[in-house]
Amino acid sequence: MASAATWVLAEFKDEAALCAAARRLRELGQQRLDAHSPVPLHGIDEALGLRKSPVPLIALIGGVAGVAGGYLMQWWMNAVDFPINVANRGFHSPPTNIPITFETGVLLASLSIVFGLFALCGFPRTHHPVFETEGFRTASVDALWLSAEVKAEDAEPVSRELEKLGAVQVSRVPEGL
Amino acid sequence: MKVTRFEGGRSTAIRALVVAVAGLGLTLLGGFFDPQRALQAYHVAFVYWAGIAVGALIVNMAFQAAKARWYVVVRRVLETIPLSSALFLVLFVPVLLGMGHLFPWVDPSHLEGELRRLAEHRRPYLNAPFFALRTAGYFGLWIAVSHLLHGWSTRQDTEGGAALTLKQRRLGAGALPFVGLAMTFAAFDWQMSLDLHLFSTIFGLYYFAGSFLAAFAVLILAVNASRAEGLPRALMNANHDHSLGKWMLAFVSFWAYIAFSQYLLMWIANLPEEVPWYLARSKTAWLPVGIFLAVFHFIVPFFVLLSRGLKRNPRALSFMAVWILIVHYVDVYWVMMPALRHDPEHGIAPHWTDLTALVGVGAAAVAFVVWRMRGRAGVPVGDPFLEESLRYEPS
Repeated sequence: MASAATWVLAEFKDEAALCAAARRLRELGQQRLDAHSPVPLHGIDEALGLRKSPVPLIALIGGVAGVAGGYLMQWWMNAVDFPINVANRGFHSPPTNIPITFETGVLLASLSIVFGLFALCGFPRTHHPVFETEGFRTASVDALWLSAEVKAEDAEPVSRELEKLGAVQVSRVPEGL
Repeated sequence: MKVTRFEGGRSTAIRALVVAVAGLGLTLLGGFFDPQRALQAYHVAFVYWAGIAVGALIVNMAFQAAKARWYVVVRRVLETIPLSSALFLVLFVPVLLGMGHLFPWVDPSHLEGELRRLAEHRRPYLNAPFFALRTAGYFGLWIAVSHLLHGWSTRQDTEGGAALTLKQRRLGAGALPFVGLAMTFAAFDWQMSLDLHLFSTIFGLYYFAGSFLAAFAVLILAVNASRAEGLPRALMNANHDHSLGKWMLAFVSFWAYIAFSQYLLMWIANLPEEVPWYLARSKTAWLPVGIFLAVFHFIVPFFVLLSRGLKRNPRALSFMAVWILIVHYVDVYWVMMPALRHDPEHGIAPHWTDLTALVGVGAAAVAFVVWRMRGRAGVPVGDPFLEESLRYEPS
């Protein structure tokens, strides 16, 4: 590893200051930013430069896989593996397959959303070095925090920059803490 | 907020009125040449547009019941559309006068065998006076509820306060079952009774699903029609468009779900008294229309409406709204025409009065709604949730 990562945490009092700070850090070339807040922040997606979430695509792929898998499963079981004549409808009878196909499509789409989201959020990671900072706990109570993952040698200038941008307090958390 | 009354739309209303008079006049002219065919065309057009008006009423009531706040900015349009139920009560008169040409049960002596037995068995319910009385009852309820909701909302423009919001929510939630039941029975009376061999308890829901979807399409087109000051478009953001698009996506799926459920239950039971309705639409020239509906009323719009960018683009969404209105008409036509004409083998055979009746009734409704929009604020300026709606940003 070229240089260990360091997390710089900065508390802000209002959402405009936090968004402005996020934009400034991105101008300075810091891309690995995140915001932590007990309430939704308006305009934060744009300020952090977040890309469109990949969850809809994951859901679509899961849904299509569910539809295809559900239909193929029924076709294989009813028409190929174990054909039984039910009311003379034909072994491969499309309308009877639709309800199950719908259900498997919905099932796989929703499971893809849940587990896709887990994976994107880094689950099942249970601990993160930034939790060692006592003050950061207020992110779940009443404070707005901006975090930046930076190279160790950048930690000092980024911290100073955040203080200039109006941070109430700034802490640095090195990786192997 | 300052109350700015909407005073535009005069020329739109006049132009729509001219088109309405021309369309209905031509349909009447067609009636002199072929009274039965012109009446059939008119009845289909009536059911199509009246369903949209009631669909819009149910949209507003459902949102009131859910205490929705995001849609307040478009609510004035949504609550003005169902006021046209008063117009549709008047437009029902030709159907009533010509019911002998439309409904087989009016005179069972023309029928034979099983159909005659069914018509006579249903006589206590399916007879001309009770039919007229029921339809009057449906319209009475729709007119009352739509005028109460619209009246309270416009009163709030000047009075403000939360009390009138509560009234709208209570009526929206409380009257919802009755308005829904009235629509179900209207579907039974106006459409299902055309074919004495159609037994479908889901049929009312089928009419509702298509109408509710088309009501969103009309709402989208109505708000996008004008950027005039004081009208919703100038105040809306992309999130409103996105949500309206999501509703279309949801109800494209819901329509397909109901349409398929009805088909599957009849197909799988395969009972001789039920299947003729689908046989008339699948073993005849109507089959391509059914396939067209599956593809263009469900599969294609479903995948197109999945796109986030499209839903947030008013022009693209308006295009999809026009699409939905077209396929919904094909759907109503496909449900009603084979039953009305009793000759499914003879093909689809569209008639020019189909078009004049569709345009005539639709233009009359547009003229009526635009005229009712005039003289009031274009958005519910007294609603306490309007500002929240203007800032609508789902997180």
